[in-house]
Amino acid sequence: MSAIQATDLVRRFGEVEAVRGVSLEVAEGEIYGFLGPNGAGKSTIVRILTTLLQPTSGSGSVLGHDVVREPTTVRRLIGVALQEAGLDPKQTGRELLTLQGKLYGLKGKVLSDQVSEVTELVGLTDAVNRRIQTYSGGMKRRLDLASALLHRPRVLFLDEPTTGLDPLSRALIWDRIRELRERFGATIFLTTQYLEEADELADRVAIIDHGQIVRQGTPVALKAEVGADVIDVAVEEREVGAARAAITELQARGELPEGELRGTQDGYTLFVPDGPENLAVLIRGLDKAGVRFGAVSVSRPTLDDVFLAATGGRMAAAEQEDQGEDQGREPEPAGAGRRGQ
Amino acid sequence: MSAAAPDAGRLPGRGRSGEPQTLAAPAGLVSDIVAITGRAIRGILREPELFIFALIIPVFFFVVQIGALGDVAEQQLGIANYATFQLPISILFAAASTSGGNALVLDIAGGYWDKLSLTPAHRSSLVIGNLFGEMFAVLGYSVVLLLFGFVIGVRFAENTLLGSVGLLALTLLFGIGFASVSIAIALATGSVRATQSAFIIFFPLLFLTPSALPREMMTGWFETAVSINPMTYVIEAARSFLFAFNGAIIAKGFLAAALFSALTFSLTALAFRRRVHMG
Repeated sequence: MSAIQATDLVRRFGEVEAVRGVSLEVAEGEIYGFLGPNGAGKSTIVRILTTLLQPTSGSGSVLGHDVVREPTTVRRLIGVALQEAGLDPKQTGRELLTLQGKLYGLKGKVLSDQVSEVTELVGLTDAVNRRIQTYSGGMKRRLDLASALLHRPRVLFLDEPTTGLDPLSRALIWDRIRELRERFGATIFLTTQYLEEADELADRVAIIDHGQIVRQGTPVALKAEVGADVIDVAVEEREVGAARAAITELQARGELPEGELRGTQDGYTLFVPDGPENLAVLIRGLDKAGVRFGAVSVSRPTLDDVFLAATGGRMAAAEQEDQGEDQGREPEPAGAGRRGQ
Repeated sequence: MSAAAPDAGRLPGRGRSGEPQTLAAPAGLVSDIVAITGRAIRGILREPELFIFALIIPVFFFVVQIGALGDVAEQQLGIANYATFQLPISILFAAASTSGGNALVLDIAGGYWDKLSLTPAHRSSLVIGNLFGEMFAVLGYSVVLLLFGFVIGVRFAENTLLGSVGLLALTLLFGIGFASVSIAIALATGSVRATQSAFIIFFPLLFLTPSALPREMMTGWFETAVSINPMTYVIEAARSFLFAFNGAIIAKGFLAAALFSALTFSLTALAFRRRVHMG
């Protein structure tokens, strides 16, 4: 049985189709990274799978329980830390966790033990008796995570758990996520807009863009799909046309292999085998054509390159296009086409 | 990991068979309501300044009305004790100032409503618990104003204990009606500003009443408006507890408060269904 299953999920908000036929399956014990820019539809899918929102069509289930027909059962099985940690600032951390535990049916010693356990797990033991309004952003995220773990859920939904956190807090959350899987055997559905986060934590990754999954697989397999090294060359705006012409010419003459050429915010990205060797050819070719260019680098493909190959845009560029909130309530319409298609 | 965990010695989150399990279990509606009510009361107690501010306007009107009309009312209109005559207005005014919707709309805007909605608790408990919390505040306002009344000379003509309990019970029933309106607006709009503006719609209900003078002294359109306002009967019942128990008047008052609360609570239920459906 799958831990999480979604079949042809669609969610419309008026004219806007925020989720457009998403199907996915997550195995028990798996960390599943759900990667995409703001406005891509990540949070809407999380809200559907966690019973907060009903799909316009399609179906979803958690451990075999339908999220629309059996919402209460699903809520008992899942723990959720949403993107915006919604916490009552007037309560202390302990009060919030105790209330949360009571609503999950925990009582007496089990409840107090669980509160102690999860606060220790997220490193908030010293702060748990303070009012939440005195917590930093990172502490609130950790408290939210603790509240999601209180009843030992079998499936955890973590919606951008590290967005906006400093590197130290982010590293701490990453450690906790790894620990959760190792110690609790929990299935973790992790949405993120950080490529390195998905790369670091996830067993499998789905890349979502404009409400559709555009790639799905293990990070290694997805990067292998790109099938080449990545050469990035920075080019000034006015040199963009000349650079493209020069690279196309090099490819036409067979000096550079027929790899995929993608425009980016800073210039061009070329996917070619034998990156270091072809880097030299590229530099010579651009120089000979009189193209003024900046930094040039060669690297192994990253998930960002997978995203680029799948959507034609870098994650960072997509972020700038889709500034709208992806809260599953008022999504922005799909962004316009990207440069350098 | 706490050594005292209930299944110490086993891998956390797994049953004896090694199969992962969750500790969540049905808590029951009553338990859910008690938990949410407790949190609402804690929130009220954490902000005593809001409690005090809510009392300022009723006390102000109470004192000003007595100062402006007390002598005239007692000497010319034959009202035995104008402070006693005005006390129910002050208490009901405070009850109408409830902010049950404010706490709820802040939860919605801040995301805590979602957090609570993700638990297996009965979702209706999220509303009912808030409402009960607000009734705790109404009870607090009423007791303070009643004590203030005693200090300035208000007395129950008949049984003080019975009168006090009756007056408080009527006020709570009435308070549920007003808090429900505020909560309905919070649920329907999710807007802090709209919820805070809800008080404006209470003014006609509160002032088209025999608040300053007995109904029999009114004439024309005002008398008609006052007669069809359910608040009139609530006020008259409240006064009956103070001046002279009159079963018929008291019954009419409770009936008016119950109908008003049933109507507004129905609006809350509709708004609640809509919000749950909207997600």
